[in-house]
Amino acid sequence: MTQYSKEDIFIVTGASSGIGYSVAQKFNELGASVVAIARSVDKLTQMKNSSKYPENIFIESKDLGKNIDELPNFVKSLKEKYGKLKGLIYCAGLDYLKVMQILDVKTSKDVFDINFFAPVFMAKGFADRRNHAPNASIIFIASVAGVYPDKGQTIYGGSKAALIAAMKCISKELATKGVRVNSISPAYVETPMYLNNFENIGTNIDEYPLGIGKPADISNMAAFLASEDARWITGQNYIMDGGIF
Amino acid sequence: MKREEFLEQMQDILQTDETLSFDMNLEDLEEWDSLSKMATVAFLDSNFGIKTTFNDFESIKTIEDIAQKAGI
Repeated sequence: MTQYSKEDIFIVTGASSGIGYSVAQKFNELGASVVAIARSVDKLTQMKNSSKYPENIFIESKDLGKNIDELPNFVKSLKEKYGKLKGLIYCAGLDYLKVMQILDVKTSKDVFDINFFAPVFMAKGFADRRNHAPNASIIFIASVAGVYPDKGQTIYGGSKAALIAAMKCISKELATKGVRVNSISPAYVETPMYLNNFENIGTNIDEYPLGIGKPADISNMAAFLASEDARWITGQNYIMDGGIF
Repeated sequence: MKREEFLEQMQDILQTDETLSFDMNLEDLEEWDSLSKMATVAFLDSNFGIKTTFNDFESIKTIEDIAQKAGI
């Protein structure tokens, strides 16, 4: 596995729990500096304190759903504070498992803000040549709901499908700038988001040939995609589903 | 828009740390690629109501040429 130095700076959003937590810890373990973003400073501090090299984790409290227009400037401010950025791994996400009868527009738009617009505008900031290092990488955590949507995933699945389409487009725009862009689409992974929705999911987890996933399964893939070993890979969406689909 | 502000906007379009000047030859900048040209087309349209096409870029050699298109 590629080792990084602390000069390799990765932004990880949603870093206080679930997949984002695991990604932040993984890149820290590999020697990189991690700018860890989430709303809760307390949770981020807990994550930092349980990491291998806490001195290489930098906490930034931010609600990514607010002032999305300003996110490119936010990324620029991170570059000015920490240095040129090697990677952006967008793990923040909002779930919304509701059938048609009870959908509402406000919540639906909030879901699109966090799952689609925020990652796109974070990527816009990252894509600026002045903000990223050479051979940089963007990874979006999407979802199998964006590829194989099920009942109750009209909005959530729609937002993730939009993100995957955006990923493809952005990868083509940034290829000549030395930035690779990919996404990972997990099925059910043992995260707080999954556990909160356990009763609503309606999926028989016993049907997963390899069982449901663990956050480390996703962070290992993210570490590979961000590394030089993946230098010829861009514009791809990797489904990680334990064999269910 | 003043000329200084115009230059700042071009700095963002080209995403370059290099200090820009009006007489700078665009072909000398590696940042002057198809994406920058697309961004320039949108910039001229939304800020000045000037419609341009990719063919117009054949006669655009410097930032001054873009400024003249914009009428500033």
